Amino acid sequence: MSSAQGESSSFRSSGWVRYQIGQFNLEAQWEVEPGQLLTLFGPSGAGKTTLLRAIAGLLQPLEGHIEIGGRPVYDGVTSIFVPPHLRRAGLLTQGYHLFPHLTVAGNIGYGLIDWTPEGRRRRLAELVEMFQLGELVNRRPHQISGGQQQRAALARALAPMPALMLLDEPFNSLDIELRRTLRSELRTRLREAGVPAIMVTHDIEEAISMADTVQVINKGKLEAAGAPLEVLGQPGHGRVARLVGVENLLSLVITSLHPQDGTMVCAVPSGSLQLEVPLSDVASSSRVTVGVRASDIILSDTEPRGSSARNRLPGVVSAIELRPPGYQVTLACGDVDLKCHITGTSLNEMCIATGDNLWAVFKASSCFLVSDEE
Amino acid sequence: MASPLKRLVTDTGPMGSSIRIPVGSIATALYVAFICLPILALLVRALSQEVALASLLNDNVLQALWLSLFTSTISMVVVVVVGTPFALSLARSSSAVMRVVDQIVELPIILPPVVAGVAMLLAFGRQGILGPPLAHLGISLPFTTMAVIFAQIFVAAPFYIRSAKLGFMAVPREYEAISQTLGLSPWRTFLKLTLPMATPSLLTGLALAWARALSEFGATIMFAGNLMGETQTMPLAIMTAMETSLESAIALSVILLALALLVLGALGLISRYRWREST
Repeated sequence: MSSAQGESSSFRSSGWVRYQIGQFNLEAQWEVEPGQLLTLFGPSGAGKTTLLRAIAGLLQPLEGHIEIGGRPVYDGVTSIFVPPHLRRAGLLTQGYHLFPHLTVAGNIGYGLIDWTPEGRRRRLAELVEMFQLGELVNRRPHQISGGQQQRAALARALAPMPALMLLDEPFNSLDIELRRTLRSELRTRLREAGVPAIMVTHDIEEAISMADTVQVINKGKLEAAGAPLEVLGQPGHGRVARLVGVENLLSLVITSLHPQDGTMVCAVPSGSLQLEVPLSDVASSSRVTVGVRASDIILSDTEPRGSSARNRLPGVVSAIELRPPGYQVTLACGDVDLKCHITGTSLNEMCIATGDNLWAVFKASSCFLVSDEE
Repeated sequence: MASPLKRLVTDTGPMGSSIRIPVGSIATALYVAFICLPILALLVRALSQEVALASLLNDNVLQALWLSLFTSTISMVVVVVVGTPFALSLARSSSAVMRVVDQIVELPIILPPVVAGVAMLLAFGRQGILGPPLAHLGISLPFTTMAVIFAQIFVAAPFYIRSAKLGFMAVPREYEAISQTLGLSPWRTFLKLTLPMATPSLLTGLALAWARALSEFGATIMFAGNLMGETQTMPLAIMTAMETSLESAIALSVILLALALLVLGALGLISRYRWREST
């Protein structure tokens, strides 16, 4: 194995699998380039963790083909099954699972068992430096903080130069503040290491801020794939929109098309509310579902004249809920309830209370059409 | 003011908890005295008579001591070599068969040792089930040193297996999965991870089993007899000495006590090591 020392993984990892437990059927397909991060996004129980374990070799799929670092490690047809310890796939779990009987240094060096003493020492020093674990090397896992545990676990996983990193909700056991800081840190480390990585998460913020590509998985099926902002920011699919948690999904009828502006006007069936949304390839007077993210809506206490935003809707505040880090204000606009996210500071400055008359303002381009599931 | 019922209710709370403390301390004091008094009596008596100390160097005593150490060591080697993989498969299997096996393992703990001795005689004795085939091979087990070892393994092994099983069960499978993704084969994962993590439990079990093997009496006397130099271990030597001279019985008892305390000391060290691990 000493040939693996210093060798960087310049191959992509890819594959597809089908897996079945009882009624649950998982079908997945993926491809990650070195230094890239693919995020599997979906609710718990969607089969994301199962997929990671199948790639690591901890589960045997029903059928499929898995390549790690350009090398086939599983093939259902030719019955290749490379056991987990020969796959070179590092795994970072939710609970980190640092070995309690070893020090931080013992944990990081654990996978370097076949390296020469000199190579092991050099690799260990390199990782301790990279992850700033200097003064912690002689501590036991239970003596260091959650964030430090994550760093130590990632260092341990990267130590034997894996050809693929698998990250299973790596921020789950950390508090919100720490998550934000560690997100970019983890992303940087993975890019530096030049390892292709697959990360599982059910946190949309995490998916958008870290991933190069996103796959939305639900009930074992791929719902959508693509660039994070396209897939999760303006999800064009009914199920995906609901999974992602788009706060405002409005059922509207198209009333007029304005090709010169690239927009069209839709209204609720009763006609009490009109919206201008991006032009789409649908016929006039057909029904559409329009999505608007709560964070894209601006609240104003006077009618915003002289604004370029095409949608200005008057309404009455019907509810205010705490939604960390800010607040969710529900504005009753005719027959429709619009949910808007604002910060605590805005809430205080504007003295918003239930029963207030406010205006909801948002651009036409903040609206997106959601094609309903068949 | 509060109603009588309410007063009754509020009063019993603190009273209940204040009663528990003296009861607890009395029970503790009683129990400690009950355990320590006989041991103290033995030590005081042994130190007060020079005769007993002189008889420590007696040939019979050395023979019994050597036999006890020798047989219990062999027993523990067998128990560890066979018991460790067995305990691991008990810990890792959830099949119905293994659940039954799990119950069988505990049988020798509840079985009176004398009954175990009779039962072993009926299985491995000359008239026993395996007697004729063993005789055919020229092997006769009863009343040999081998029989002593058999008896010790029979009664002591469950203590090791039970503790080892719990130790292995306490190693989360996720750790082993991680170890494999780090490049260690299942076998190396066992050696580098599972075994070290379970070691405190294995050592605790070993100390318990060893103490049990050293003190084995009932099954040994039924199955192996009481032949000096061959099957007469320390506990049997004490009983034999008791018939002729109380002094030598006392001397032998003190030696066996010292051995037992040694085991207890080892146990203490291990649990302290363990405690440091878990805090």
